[in-house]
Amino acid sequence: MNPSDILQLDRVVHERVRLAIMSMLAASPDLSFTEVRDALDLTDGNLMSHVRTLQEAGYLAVTKAYQEARPLTTLALTKAGREAFAAHIARLAAIVQHARPA
Amino acid sequence: MNERDARADLEAIRVLMERSALYRRTLAPTCLGLGALGLAAGAAHRFLPLETATAFALCWLATAVLGVGIAFWTSRRQAVREREAFWSPPARRVAESIAPPLAAGFLLSVPFLLGEDWARRVVWLLPALWMVLYGCALHAAGFFMHRGIRLLGWLYIAGGSGLLLWWTCPLNQFPPVAHAHLAMAIGFGLVHLAYGAYLVATERSRRA
Repeated sequence: MNPSDILQLDRVVHERVRLAIMSMLAASPDLSFTEVRDALDLTDGNLMSHVRTLQEAGYLAVTKAYQEARPLTTLALTKAGREAFAAHIARLAAIVQHARPA
Repeated sequence: MNERDARADLEAIRVLMERSALYRRTLAPTCLGLGALGLAAGAAHRFLPLETATAFALCWLATAVLGVGIAFWTSRRQAVREREAFWSPPARRVAESIAPPLAAGFLLSVPFLLGEDWARRVVWLLPALWMVLYGCALHAAGFFMHRGIRLLGWLYIAGGSGLLLWWTCPLNQFPPVAHAHLAMAIGFGLVHLAYGAYLVATERSRRA
């Protein structure tokens, strides 16, 4: 295994819940806050804190709107977020690849 | 991080990506609504003069339009209640996958609306064709929904094909329009009701 692969893992993306949020959003252009919360079995506060971390890193865009007078919060990965996610997957794949016997 | 953790992370990512692309609206209310509508339309020919090919095609096309309205209304209501986007990417994928077979079903029905004499003799073809095409639509949508929808699609394809084979069998006489109404009431009324009841039961037991 190449030690540099581990050192290069993005701490923002690598955390379990944030990686799960980014995985869901990577497969869909956008998802509502409640869809992500229910799918990952999180509380509003827990999801919000991870959303904030991802937003501060520039990986996540949050849109607030109204649907029939009810608030609708939508989450989507930014371009930087998609790149960070792709890079993270490439590093995980590299770790698996390096561990294989030649 | 070791190789085993990296492999587990990659597997979790794959599962989550697959899950987020699925359409997750509860289908029980839609199925029950469609079933009730199908049975009501099937019963209508007892009280209304729906014995011509034009009347048959019009009756069931109007029912289909109402059915689309019911599906639209129930899924939109759910989305609003759960604070989710109605026209979400999975909903778009489902709509795109069911559109071609449903459009084909509509276009194939147009000649029957013109009231030509030949249409009355072959109107019994419509229920079988509609069932096969509806089954294809459900099967295509099933790639973005839970697996049961694809099985339901196969059921319609098998049912429609079986009906076509039965009615074209040389031993049988071509059926009257009343039989076509009956096939529609069973195929689109009873089957939807039964599937809706099954979904209600399984969703309740999953929640318990």
